[in-house]
Amino acid sequence: MYAYLVKTLIGVFSLDENRRVISFKPFSKDPSQIAMKLSEDSPSEIQQIRTEFKNFEFVSGNLKMEAFVKENLLKYAIEYSFVKNQVEFNQLLTKVNSELAKQKIKETSRRDQLVIHVNNAIEELDKSVNVFIERLREWYSFHFPEMDRMIENHETYVALIEKFGNRQNIDDKKLNHLKDRSSGMDFTEDDTNILKLFASDITKLYQLRESLLDYQSKLVKDVAPNFSAIAGDAIAAKLIAKAGGLERLSRMPSSTIQLLGSEKALFRFLKSRGRSKSPKFGLIYNHPMIQNSPRETQGKVARLLAAKLSIASRIDYYSKEYKADEMKKDLENKVKKILSSKE
Amino acid sequence: MAEMKQTKFHGVFKIDGRIATVNLVPGKKAYGEDLIKDRGVEYRIWDFWRSKPAAAIKNGLKELPLKKGMAILYLGIANGTTSSHFSDIIGKEGLIYGVEISGRPFRELLPIAEKRGNIIPILANARMPEDYENNVLSKVDLVYEDVASNDQVEILIRNCLKFLKPKGYAVIAIKSQSIDVTRNPREIYKECIKEFEKHFDIIDKVELDPYEKYHLFVVMKSKR
Ligand SMILES: C[S@@+](CC[C@H](N)C(=O)[O-])C[C@H]1O[C@@H](n2cnc3c(N)ncnc32)[C@H](O)[C@@H]1O
Repeated sequence: MYAYLVKTLIGVFSLDENRRVISFKPFSKDPSQIAMKLSEDSPSEIQQIRTEFKNFEFVSGNLKMEAFVKENLLKYAIEYSFVKNQVEFNQLLTKVNSELAKQKIKETSRRDQLVIHVNNAIEELDKSVNVFIERLREWYSFHFPEMDRMIENHETYVALIEKFGNRQNIDDKKLNHLKDRSSGMDFTEDDTNILKLFASDITKLYQLRESLLDYQSKLVKDVAPNFSAIAGDAIAAKLIAKAGGLERLSRMPSSTIQLLGSEKALFRFLKSRGRSKSPKFGLIYNHPMIQNSPRETQGKVARLLAAKLSIASRIDYYSKEYKADEMKKDLENKVKKILSSKE
Repeated sequence: MAEMKQTKFHGVFKIDGRIATVNLVPGKKAYGEDLIKDRGVEYRIWDFWRSKPAAAIKNGLKELPLKKGMAILYLGIANGTTSSHFSDIIGKEGLIYGVEISGRPFRELLPIAEKRGNIIPILANARMPEDYENNVLSKVDLVYEDVASNDQVEILIRNCLKFLKPKGYAVIAIKSQSIDVTRNPREIYKECIKEFEKHFDIIDKVELDPYEKYHLFVVMKSKR
């Protein structure tokens, strides 16, 4: 026999196929306890019902049953003496939803801290991968020194070793004519096997890096939808990490955002008492809008961009209401004006 | 001394050219409004300058579909200024589901909601009704919208299709400036009304000038 499980604000119901209540396990009447139960996937009440009624096959997540119970919830709540009347029921609803909302505010307001961790993890990973690659290149160059300059792309270099190992086995347009005349020493099978293993682990680190980047993109869109749409996901993540979170970022004047990530250059400028150049931009330098502007206008564009980013960070901190499309359009128009007034 | 008098609107009173509702939680203000006692009943002044339905009444609105015991879905409830008066009118047996996207005004709403016991605070985007359909227990008598965004018409229609009872009411404060700043507000109103008429009968509409510039207040009833 089938029976349906429905989790509600007042407890867990189980109903048979004719929508008769088989069992009801009430929650405690404390609103914050109820809120906690509602955010659990499988509160203990569900387990209780499952163990008490062994002859039923329980199904949860049936939309029709859920809708039916939801519509009749007030009736049930009074029937099972959870509340005395509608007024008490409304008060309970209000309190529980208020608790749920508080939890939601707490969660969403801390997710920006995750951006800092992923971003730092990516930076650390990049450093490690670089160290490993350098080691691999030097090491393998004992065996096949000509390949080092021929294959400049690190990932390709690693992939070739992982796939072929010994230079005799390599099959690659750029390398085939070099491998027989190589000035490198011969490697035994042991010598190459360990390098293949090394290379395959570096490849795994590259894959990890991709996963981290994907996750970071999703996270930053969620935490700062407007800011990331204007800055680009990667730059947005770096800026949030550098600032120490969205709240701090939202309190920064745009001139600070413009220079975020240029601390070293700024320090040099201050120490030189104006004899070296003051930096015009920090991390935002890599933004396509600045990259695609002629050098003389880059400073102006950076100022406009930073001003928009500053507004976007505030919207994201306070409301996350999506306005980035209009903001981007406005920014593009302003930049166009600067560029055309140059000509 | 002047006396409170019942207006033609359910639960709305007038005194000295101002309007008021009976305070559901005596002694407590929601947003700094004046409290007035008359024959043992405490009233809260409903400020024309701070609340759009009050401005609409002042500007000659003929019908406001609010009654004791009603269930309302309120989109863009903000810090609860207007909804506190709705809460007075519908009483403890009524219920307001209040949807707000922004955390800041929402935080101010929470204590008001808890004190009043008939406002359910929901932190969500009114563009995504699926995200709060679990919070809304049954269909509502009225959907009220004041969100000031360029897709305000669409948001109202989608929420009504999902949550409004048959022959239920929809009320909106259209802000033309959110739809297009460069165009004549009246033209924009006309277009919105045309869109609404596919789903609703228009019962009444008034502009909110000078209390709110570029706003049209519209009361409608579902055709379905
Ligand atoms: C003009 S205010 C509302 C004032 C309120 N109705 C009153 O009179 O007390 C508009 C509110 O709508 C909210 N809002 C805007 N877009 C929204 C959306 N998509 N979903 C929910 N709320 C939204 C804003 O955050 C803002 O608080």
